Amino acid sequence: MLNANEILNRNNVKLIGKGSKTLFLAHGFGCDQNMWRFLTPELAKNFTIVLFDYVGSGSSDISQYSKKRYGQLEGYAEDIIEICEALQLTDAVFIGHSVSSIIGAIAAIEKPKLFSKLIMICPSPCFLNFPPEYLGGFDKEDLQELLNLMDKNYIGWANYLAPLVMGTTSSDELIGELSGSFCSTDPVIAKNFAAATFLSDYRYLLKEIKQPTLIFQSQNDALAATSVGEFIASEIMSSELNVIAADGHCLHMTHPEALMNSIIAYAKKSS
Amino acid sequence: MKNDKLKRNELPTFAPDCFPSGALVTDPSRIITYVNAYFTTELLWQSGELIGKSADILFTQSSRIFFQSYLIPTLLHEKVCEEMQLIIFNAQGQRIPITVNASISKDGCIYWSFFNASKRDQLYEELIKTREELEEQAEQLKSLASTDELTSLLNRREMKYRSTLVLEQAARSRQSIALLILDIDHFKKINDTFGHLEGDNVLKQLGQLLKAFGRQTDLISRFGGEEFLLMLPDTSKSDTLLFCQRLHKLIKQIKVGDSALKASIGVSISTDKVSFTDLFSQADNALYKAKTLGRNRTEVYVKN
Repeated sequence: MLNANEILNRNNVKLIGKGSKTLFLAHGFGCDQNMWRFLTPELAKNFTIVLFDYVGSGSSDISQYSKKRYGQLEGYAEDIIEICEALQLTDAVFIGHSVSSIIGAIAAIEKPKLFSKLIMICPSPCFLNFPPEYLGGFDKEDLQELLNLMDKNYIGWANYLAPLVMGTTSSDELIGELSGSFCSTDPVIAKNFAAATFLSDYRYLLKEIKQPTLIFQSQNDALAATSVGEFIASEIMSSELNVIAADGHCLHMTHPEALMNSIIAYAKKSS
Repeated sequence: MKNDKLKRNELPTFAPDCFPSGALVTDPSRIITYVNAYFTTELLWQSGELIGKSADILFTQSSRIFFQSYLIPTLLHEKVCEEMQLIIFNAQGQRIPITVNASISKDGCIYWSFFNASKRDQLYEELIKTREELEEQAEQLKSLASTDELTSLLNRREMKYRSTLVLEQAARSRQSIALLILDIDHFKKINDTFGHLEGDNVLKQLGQLLKAFGRQTDLISRFGGEEFLLMLPDTSKSDTLLFCQRLHKLIKQIKVGDSALKASIGVSISTDKVSFTDLFSQADNALYKAKTLGRNRTEVYVKN
């Protein structure tokens, strides 16, 4: 039970830019709000932008971490709802990367007035394989072994998933620059967030999304195949799928120019 | 001394590679360019079988993710990566936990050395299991220490602790806050007439009712005996009185024998900074007044 200021402090909320329309930018697993820095300078010319860190990431207040609350994505969605309420935000455009696309969807379904549109960058509602009808990319044993190795190596998510999310063809310089800028976090929190992300199945949720949704998918993404993007687009009532000819899971960092105009146009379009 | 017999420029002759650890070199495209004898003697690969193949063939999928997402960035930044726990396959597809050290050369080749870490892996498993058990137990103990066993509401200690926090917060945001003491009327008579089991049952029912009726942000506790304490943050005097009116009606739904359960409520409302003890004693005064005025009613503390 925190008041507005305490919530904004807990999630290290930053407001930048100018514009009557507000964009709410939610980072993905293994990152913090800095991951948006390749998009924000241009977007800030057109919109007011809300940036934040999930509890346990970046410069959030780690003392507010609760294993119970954040053991499921719903806990992270509560963060988003509370931030919007603290800022008295309605009708914003939600932009989420990877797992945050789903976290945003949970918030948008629970409080439909908060967001008028959703933009998902490399989303996946489920990383698990359920052959033959759905292939999320991983068998359960592999993901459990991955979580187990996270435990045993006891490293924060500092550089986790960096090149994987960027695709293996990115240059070493880019990998170095991006991975070095990723935040470092408590290993146990990292592992719990990974478990909430990788072992969940939110496919059922997609049909409940009422907001128009723009989906960016990478042509070659080890974490979310294009078939996953097609599945999401087919489930959401009013959606557009935009497959970018690129490698990796971090299009907003590796190919910001490919997303920029579409994001601006989609956010400005009257729905 | 043997060494004395060695000539200055002559190297001692060793048996072919007998190191009890793996050594591996991969090129910048992750292609294996060298493996030592350990791969044939211990991991059962055929001699030469691995050269020219992708290192992916050796690692499990989760280890490949670590390889790509942690090891490579660390090597790019630090040039060396030490003590990574990974899992490799031997030629028969068995998973073998290993501890890896790796370094990267200027031309981008990675030099790997690793040891079988099966025993250490078991220890890690036990440690992780123990940590999870301890966390779970701590959670249970915390819940036991903060909950009233009979009603599952907050207990006295937890109520005092949380109320103090809520009061501090209310003072900071200048919110009005209400404290209610609810005391079941003639509870002793219920116990004497129907027995303690029925008395407990009444307390349980009232506990459930209060829990269902309160808002998520309200603090609801069994403060002792037949006394319940409720703190309603951000609630005005008129809203509190409405709350109490509805509460009196609801409580009557609980039947004891042929009669309806009744309770007296003492209320104290604060808009300024106040201590829990002071607010409690004000509400207690109001409760006393409610009882003196015939019970089954709510009284609000008024400063004399």
